Amino acid sequence: MGRAAAQPAGDGIAIDAHGIGVQYSLRFTKKTTVRQSFAELARKREGPTSFWALRDVSFRVSHGESLAVIGPNGAGKSTLLQVLAGIIEPSEGRVEMVGKVSSLLTLGAGFDVDLTGVDNILLAGAFMGIPDREMRARLPDVVEFADIGPFIDAPLKTYSSGMRARLGFSIATSIEPDVLLVDEVLATGDQAFREKSRLRIEELIGAAKGIVLVTHDMHWVTTFCNRAMLLERGHVVAEGEPADVVKIHEDHMEQARLDKEAEAAKHRLQGVM
Amino acid sequence: MTSSGLVLRATYGGPRPSALTLVRQGLEETWSRRRLTRYLVGADLHKKGADTLLGNVWWILDPLLQMVVYVILVSLLLGRTTEDYPLFVFAAILPWKWFSSAVNDAILSVVARERIIKQVHFPKIVLPVAATMSGIANFAFGLIPLVALMVLFYSDRLSVFLLTLPIIAAVQLVFTLGVAILLSAVNVFYRDVGNVARHILRLWFYLSPGLYSVEQVTKLVEKYPAAGVVYGLNPFTVIFEAYRAAIYDGKLPNFVGLAVLLGGSFLVLFACIYGFKRLEPAFAKVL
Repeated sequence: MGRAAAQPAGDGIAIDAHGIGVQYSLRFTKKTTVRQSFAELARKREGPTSFWALRDVSFRVSHGESLAVIGPNGAGKSTLLQVLAGIIEPSEGRVEMVGKVSSLLTLGAGFDVDLTGVDNILLAGAFMGIPDREMRARLPDVVEFADIGPFIDAPLKTYSSGMRARLGFSIATSIEPDVLLVDEVLATGDQAFREKSRLRIEELIGAAKGIVLVTHDMHWVTTFCNRAMLLERGHVVAEGEPADVVKIHEDHMEQARLDKEAEAAKHRLQGVM
Repeated sequence: MTSSGLVLRATYGGPRPSALTLVRQGLEETWSRRRLTRYLVGADLHKKGADTLLGNVWWILDPLLQMVVYVILVSLLLGRTTEDYPLFVFAAILPWKWFSSAVNDAILSVVARERIIKQVHFPKIVLPVAATMSGIANFAFGLIPLVALMVLFYSDRLSVFLLTLPIIAAVQLVFTLGVAILLSAVNVFYRDVGNVARHILRLWFYLSPGLYSVEQVTKLVEKYPAAGVVYGLNPFTVIFEAYRAAIYDGKLPNFVGLAVLLGGSFLVLFACIYGFKRLEPAFAKVL
């Protein structure tokens, strides 16, 4: 697949993103049907038919670097991770990923409730493209970390939601990747398991060559990342030292809050008059 | 991409690959992820078998009951007499049930895995392929009542030509795969493809020589040459005739027709893989 790369990233680069843009079409949404499309034809189209979730996003992550991506809701953070994971093709621009990529976007995704815990582990491994032999070798570790006792041989529909989350986390963190993509998945299960999973994530962060972390927890940004990037409405607004970028983000959020309050006050005032 | 599927150096974006590259990619992905396909088929069969106590028994009874319905309709109500009509019609029900249930299952195969598609990067083409493959079990179970029927009631029609069934089934599988792959992708964008397909499939069955033989419609074809074209282009004309030759007539199926159909089916399959691969990048966005 890498043939299309004009200039391969040099040594020591884990992620090379160049001018990424992701365009969403509004024509097809989740519940489009043939019937609706005919109805659409009859009606006159109004409003925009597409929007850019990301535009002109460029950055590099070198070995040893961990990049935090922060921003308000809907800024395109998760879309960016999906592009890096190969789930969404960028509409423009190019991304090059070097090394074994793992995305912790995957807590319990694709679980089959009729299969047992063990079968689900193997199925998830097959989805992630891990060779079967490797997955079977990892099986005892995954089972042990999930810590769900004899339930591991029972169908997933008998699990509590906490048990499912634990199994999901255990599967997602079972491979040691070169490039790690983390989307806020850290609050899982009870207090004891949360602590255990925090340690596991730290361990993975320590072992990975490059990391992209999407989070709303500013503490994580300043503790684990040596670079940060602020996204707003799909554009990179600031990039640099985590503490500086966090400061800008918090200022912007504060400003947005004040604007909103002023707007609300204006409405109230108009209501009185 | 390495054969293990783990991405060691991947580039996303850039110019769109050519049609041939896409088809080759689709074939390579299907092959390299055969383990995933096998797991999905296993999960599917487990689900279908475990859901009901009589799970597997239904697979045997279903075609028999359908046969009874058509025998009542055609022999009793319409008063058409065809010798050994139950076996005649069973030879068509068996492949048709396989085709229609495989297509119906495949249509939902991609949207059913919505969550994992949005969270893991994997070749989506394995989903309709797995759905089609698990349909083979449906067909295999249908062979049990067929053999029972023949041994018990039509033992004079048993012949060595039954051994050609796997060849006919293989041709049908290639054609089914193409249809299943394309429709599963279209259903991501238009969620009512299943509704439309159900009716088209029913009409398709009646327009294929399943309940009747091609000879019985020669008058119609003489009157309306267009009908001849419909029957000539319908893959199920060849498929039903072939099954009927092996099961009912006890003779060799028309291998020339099957060979032509096989070639055509591969073209359809490649075109459908191309269509699927073109639509695939948008799945995660639309779902």
